[in-house]
Amino acid sequence: MFGDAIRYYEDTTQMLENILLQTQSSGPAISAPAAAALAVGLAAFGAGYAERGIGAAAMGAIAEDNDLFVNGLILTVLPETLVILALVVVFIV
Amino acid sequence: MSAAGGSNPEYVNARVRSRQSQLFSDEDYRKLVRMGPAEIARFMEESEYEEEINALGSRYSGVDLIEFALNRNLAKQFNDILKWADGRLYDLIARYLRKFDAWNVKTIIRGIYSDIDHDAVDVDLIRAGEFDDRFIDRLLDAGTIEEVVDRLDGTMFDAGLEQAYEDYEDTDVLVPLENAIDRAYYENLLEGLVVDESTEQYREYLEAEIDFRNARNALRLARSGADIDPAEYYIEGGSLFSASELVTLSQNPTELLSKIRDSKYGDDLSDALDDIESVNSLIGFERALESALLEYADSLGYVYPLSVSPVISYILAKEQEVDNIRAIARGREAGLSEEEIEEELVIQ
Repeated sequence: MFGDAIRYYEDTTQMLENILLQTQSSGPAISAPAAAALAVGLAAFGAGYAERGIGAAAMGAIAEDNDLFVNGLILTVLPETLVILALVVVFIV
Repeated sequence: MSAAGGSNPEYVNARVRSRQSQLFSDEDYRKLVRMGPAEIARFMEESEYEEEINALGSRYSGVDLIEFALNRNLAKQFNDILKWADGRLYDLIARYLRKFDAWNVKTIIRGIYSDIDHDAVDVDLIRAGEFDDRFIDRLLDAGTIEEVVDRLDGTMFDAGLEQAYEDYEDTDVLVPLENAIDRAYYENLLEGLVVDESTEQYREYLEAEIDFRNARNALRLARSGADIDPAEYYIEGGSLFSASELVTLSQNPTELLSKIRDSKYGDDLSDALDDIESVNSLIGFERALESALLEYADSLGYVYPLSVSPVISYILAKEQEVDNIRAIARGREAGLSEEEIEEELVIQ
């Protein structure tokens, strides 16, 4: 009974040592290209959120006055620059 | 077009700001003051009011045409806003626009009371509130005041109206009914309003409106010397007066004025308060209250652009425009001089 407990304790210690060794030997949680992809994705998400508000306001303005179409379009796609800048990350990793 | 879903202040505010920039300017008013009713109608035909003037032009003429076109345009503009708005924004706007429901119900009851025919009442309605056309038509078709009260069952006017109807039957004056409707409107205005940073201003504005209304009622009662209990007219929700305070103050106009002067509205109203003390005229004071509200509303839209404030600012400016044009048209018809009419206008 007592012997079982000791054996169990030794097993666990061994297992923990193995895990510790594995962790030390491996690199970061995700690879560099995956991190860059994540960065672009998040930037696109931000741009999309910004465009939601601007697009809604632009549609409102265009509905009142058709001449505002060009201005509305330009302002709506401005946040797209966020994605373009984030795309730079892909080329430098 | 309903209170469900997310709110869309960006879209509504863009449209509303565009509409606001098309309101008549100082320059336009200066021209309008010099025109006769027919010319005013022609001027309106070349502006935002084109559709209404054309639609009504064959049936009415002169000042009536202007008046009905103004009412219709007002209703159209405000219905548009309600149609655009969604979610929480809809709720906030509808709260304020229900005052047209109150106006319509009062107009219908008055029409039945004084036995005016159906069509004449219809053109005086401003179908801008939350009641849809079918419901308003049902109210219009009612033959007696009792039927109107019955049909209002389940709306926000329901609560006090039954009691008020009994009072009306006893006394045969409309005051209790109209009072019940007004109070229902004002009490619904602030009820259940969720206040966060961006609606704080909106609440302050509504409180100011209630305060001003209380002050005006108290002053009118004090002036008329009528034997009416001011507490009956007290509207809850304001920050300036409590019901019991108003009762004592309405017997003492000087104290009432100094109370207003010491309040947070004192700075905006100080000129008007001086006026009322020296000239003793209520009209000037009431106009000062209007323009103080308007000025307050105008500044509303700039602190939180993505809230309900710009919409409220537009609604007030539009209402004021309609009032101004009506004052000009009626003033010209009555043969007032240009200076006298200009004094009647509230221009920011």
